[in-house]
Amino acid sequence: MTAPHGQDTHWSRVEESGTVTGMRLMLAIDRWLGEWAFRLLLIPAAAYFWLRRPLARRASREYRHRLQHTFPQLRLGPLATLRHFICFGMTMLDKVRALHGRIDGERVHLPDRATLREAIESGRGGLILVSHLGNHEICQALSRQRPDLRLSLLMHTRHAQRFNALLASADRGERVEVIEVSEITPETAQRLRERIDEGGFVVIAADREPISGDQRARSFDFLGAPAPFPEGAFRLALLLRCPLYLLLCARNGRGYSVHFEALGDSRGVARAARETWLATHMAAFVRRLETYCGRYPLQWFNFYPFWKSPAHGSDRGQR
Amino acid sequence: MAETAQTPLERSLAEMIIETLELEDIATDDIDPEAPLFGEGLGLDSIDALELGLALQKHHGIRLDSDSEDNRTHFASLRNLAALVEARRAT
Repeated sequence: MTAPHGQDTHWSRVEESGTVTGMRLMLAIDRWLGEWAFRLLLIPAAAYFWLRRPLARRASREYRHRLQHTFPQLRLGPLATLRHFICFGMTMLDKVRALHGRIDGERVHLPDRATLREAIESGRGGLILVSHLGNHEICQALSRQRPDLRLSLLMHTRHAQRFNALLASADRGERVEVIEVSEITPETAQRLRERIDEGGFVVIAADREPISGDQRARSFDFLGAPAPFPEGAFRLALLLRCPLYLLLCARNGRGYSVHFEALGDSRGVARAARETWLATHMAAFVRRLETYCGRYPLQWFNFYPFWKSPAHGSDRGQR
Repeated sequence: MAETAQTPLERSLAEMIIETLELEDIATDDIDPEAPLFGEGLGLDSIDALELGLALQKHHGIRLDSDSEDNRTHFASLRNLAALVEARRAT
């Protein structure tokens, strides 16, 4: 259920650019002309969006300022905002490549291989938090490498429709299941519980602003200023009582780096201890996200106003 | 003491609810089989409903279907919940 929202800047209304046809075109360019050609063609496209989407441009600029302030030693170089858009364009190509199984396993660097192996082999399953940082679709390439890694991607119906259209056009591996939801119902909870009991992993985005205004959010300092983070993923972890992980895949030079970290475990958390668990683990997630933003500065793909500002004067989603 | 007597199944479901939701200050007998579980009755919320769904799955092997209207009816009272368990046993 999505409550009517006063502000049209809300992420679910800012359309992610690009259609299925566009994606097919990208893939064709990549296939016939190579990545460099794609990147070259991306420049005018990114410049177009950069000019035509002042909201996204401002969001990118704000992010850059906060990042620079938090990591003063970071050198972002000229035209960082435009390059931020170009990087986002590259993720489109990566998404399509991942869906079509065209990510070369040798280009995927997995520093946390041991953690991943242990998580899979423990058979306990878990909840995996993903974010706007990098491109978690690359995890599809990962599940090709580890056929015993079973992923169920929890996705808002609105996004799932577009995503499914893409999937339909791809000869993908069958390892990733997409579960469409607009809210978590008892039926969904049972389904997720089953996946985890089977040793599978449920993947959920943890830094999206709440979809409907009634979903609870908490404010955390992120890159030096308070920003609302939804509680949803963490409440789900408490409900499912399972190990909690963080996953992100970022472009790293010519290849990709996949990070997979254990964030905690919600098994055996007493009801009275829940709020403390929630606060501790949300804070830990935000800290990790911040660290990775410093590491992959132009790969935090969040093009809407993320921080609370007096101009927007909103406490939407806040308690 | 509840106004309407609980059947043995209702009693065991009441125990399940209390245990699952860690309702320390409520006794099994306090849950009136016909009183609403959510809102003004026992005062449970939507997250509690998810917990109960998982408890039903774990203890009674009940898989809810996606019809939220049906689920609302099943979760309305202890009596309805017992009816659901009975019905699933029968099949």
